[in-house]
Amino acid sequence: MKTEDKRIQALEGVKVLDFGWALAGSLNTKHLADHGAQVIRLETAKRQCMTRTNRQVSISSRTNPDDKPFFLHYNTSKYSLTLDIKHPRAREVLDRLIQWADVVNENFMPGTLTKLGLGYEDIQKIKPDIIMVSTSIFGQTGPYAHMGGVDGMGNAISGRLDLSGWPDRGPVSPSSCAFGDDILPLFTAMAIVAALDYRRKTGKGQYIDGAMLEVCANQIGPAFLDWQANGRIQTRNGNRIHEASPHGVFPCKGDDRWCAISVFTDEEWKAFCGVLGSPPWTKEERFRDLASRRTNEDELELFIAEWTSERDPQEVMRLMQKAGVCAGIVQDARDLMENDPQLKERNFLLNLKHPVLGVCAHPTPPYKLLKTPAQVKTAPCLGEHNDFICTRILGMPDEKFVELLQEGVFQ
Amino acid sequence: MDSLLTGYRALDLTDEKGFMCGKILGAMGVDVIKIEKPGGDSSRNIFPYVNDVQDPEQSLYWLAFNTDKRGITLNLKNKDGKDLFTRLVQRADFVIESFQPGYMEDLGLGYGALSGINPRIIVTSITPFGQSGPYAHFKASNLVTYAMSGVMMTNGDLDRAPVKEAVDVTYYEAGAHAALGTIIAHYHRERTGEGQQVDVSIQESTANRDSINLYVWEFDKRFLQRTGNKSLVGANVPSQWIWPCKDGYIFWAFRGGPVPMGTPGNQALSKWLDEEGAENPFKTVNCSKGLDMASLPRETLDIFESMLGRFFLMHTRQEITERAFQTGMQAWGVSDPAEVMKNPQLDARAFWKKVENSEPNQEILYPGYFFLCSETENFIKRQAPHIGEHNEEIYIGELGLSKDKINVLKKRGII
Repeated sequence: MKTEDKRIQALEGVKVLDFGWALAGSLNTKHLADHGAQVIRLETAKRQCMTRTNRQVSISSRTNPDDKPFFLHYNTSKYSLTLDIKHPRAREVLDRLIQWADVVNENFMPGTLTKLGLGYEDIQKIKPDIIMVSTSIFGQTGPYAHMGGVDGMGNAISGRLDLSGWPDRGPVSPSSCAFGDDILPLFTAMAIVAALDYRRKTGKGQYIDGAMLEVCANQIGPAFLDWQANGRIQTRNGNRIHEASPHGVFPCKGDDRWCAISVFTDEEWKAFCGVLGSPPWTKEERFRDLASRRTNEDELELFIAEWTSERDPQEVMRLMQKAGVCAGIVQDARDLMENDPQLKERNFLLNLKHPVLGVCAHPTPPYKLLKTPAQVKTAPCLGEHNDFICTRILGMPDEKFVELLQEGVFQ
Repeated sequence: MDSLLTGYRALDLTDEKGFMCGKILGAMGVDVIKIEKPGGDSSRNIFPYVNDVQDPEQSLYWLAFNTDKRGITLNLKNKDGKDLFTRLVQRADFVIESFQPGYMEDLGLGYGALSGINPRIIVTSITPFGQSGPYAHFKASNLVTYAMSGVMMTNGDLDRAPVKEAVDVTYYEAGAHAALGTIIAHYHRERTGEGQQVDVSIQESTANRDSINLYVWEFDKRFLQRTGNKSLVGANVPSQWIWPCKDGYIFWAFRGGPVPMGTPGNQALSKWLDEEGAENPFKTVNCSKGLDMASLPRETLDIFESMLGRFFLMHTRQEITERAFQTGMQAWGVSDPAEVMKNPQLDARAFWKKVENSEPNQEILYPGYFFLCSETENFIKRQAPHIGEHNEEIYIGELGLSKDKINVLKKRGII
């Protein structure tokens, strides 16, 4: 899994013990693993991660934990160890893993690990300079810390959900994906790497507490300042913004096909009108400048839609871009997988061979370290590395491994 | 108390596409110096403004996203300006920029040139589509990168155009990815002495959360639909997550699962329904051993959603939130920004912070941090800079230029 490629990776040598699960906990350490850290993901067959039980695609079964593309996408480059952490002899493995690790990651309900005798202070006793990170919806402290929840709660409570959607309808979020679950791990992963650097200089480890609510709130910073400075409560505004008009998504030829267009400056407006062949309406007083276009944006959008609906989105994008106007296809999954020449050229999707699912495309990190690029490897099967981790990484004698195995520790 | 990255310095040349990266590094203790063209960047002209007066010194968007940066002005197109910039690069650890690919190279300030001056330098470039490829020079707004990411296609309602998420969501995602990439490169540099360029694509940053969409197409050649208030995350059928209530909207994820009634949240809600004598859909199906949503006919799910929908409409956000707090129902009223500022949880964690240099008449509170650490303080501290606010501090105090020299440079439009 790690021998054939000889290039140095940025995080080579960093050791991570990973209690993380679901989305946020998995992604946190995926970023580290893709850049060379050795990440041991602890799992148990008794209570499997939602990404190992999810059956969104027809190939996924009820019984096989290894046929879920959900798990594959969120757990690349990791090792898997199944361990029943409630088993009386589990600590014989766990304590040695803690001694081995630089970093411990977890995202259970706050307090869960402490109850199991595996809180930060317990772990610190075994490894004084450990870096431990916990992620949750509300954070580890405060009156709501112990409320559980899913991704959308972070969105709803932070205010950002209330700003997403049409002014005459309720708030919406993408049906296909999360936000907080993906954004929070970026912050906690960077905190881990910076904490490793800090430890190198000071010898000190630390505890990192990441809350989805807080990173989601940071995303809409200007709305909080607007409320305080102007008493304005921002709300949903569809696709419109103050600095550009037109600024929207327009229907194109085909079934549910759209193209986004943004016109900011007078120069861009002239170029935009040129692309449309400067029909008479473009010269009307009510569309003369940004302010008047914003006032009459409903009518403006109808005129533009007439033009765009006769063209496919690729054509609209190309004509606009050629004239120096911001435009882009509202791409669907097939576009990303098969049609987008930009993503293809940059190898955004990487095909990895998995023993159960065969070849499967994976998104690669959108930040490319040009000298030490990520080396993304397929995600592990459940318990795939039990033997390797115990006997090779921890140096456990074979007899001891077999003994623990027979006692049911690795379930 | 130290911050995680105290003692390092970044030069920040970004516009709104890249503000976040420097802001995040700044909160982590990096000394970030924002470099604008003389007169100030056009990215200062973004809504909203203090008292709604359009003024480049008063953009709340600028103020929110440029905390913990000092500010200087510098004309990079001029030879003397470039010389000053290279002197700054000699004493910097990071350069962050969001120009069109090739622009820095044309100025003679590309990664190759900068690494010649300082081999340890890390140059992080944040652009709509990345440094290479056929769309590298395409122009984009947040709306365009969002459209191209694939996520937008599933946001909104089927009877309308796809719609964007709050504020400039793709710039936030790209900024966080950029900061992570920068810090990983930094870790490598501190161990090996080797600097490098980090190439961030805004499109790819948002496309990274489109996993489910991608693999459903890959394996089943099926598109996930734009279902507004319903979600398909982790589910086989769209189930309602956002519900209208008496005074607005609430978030409550209707999900199945392996425990009686599906989830503990469902159990808590069912109990509440019974207490109030409301219609209880959980009693209409056999779910004592769990609730498998995928096996329920759509009509049954519709009955669930209409019964629960009617119940929520009879209660306020506060009633529902309080009930959830007591019972583990995992629901929350959709908060507006003013309500978020009153959230007792954020209050208890001291999330809101004042910044140094606040204008005397504006005691404004900011979101104060991105995460908490036990040994370091990674809070925002400093207000976003005025145009050229720290010119003297940097040019005279650090580079040792004379006051006269500064005046000459000002007259020549270099600073």
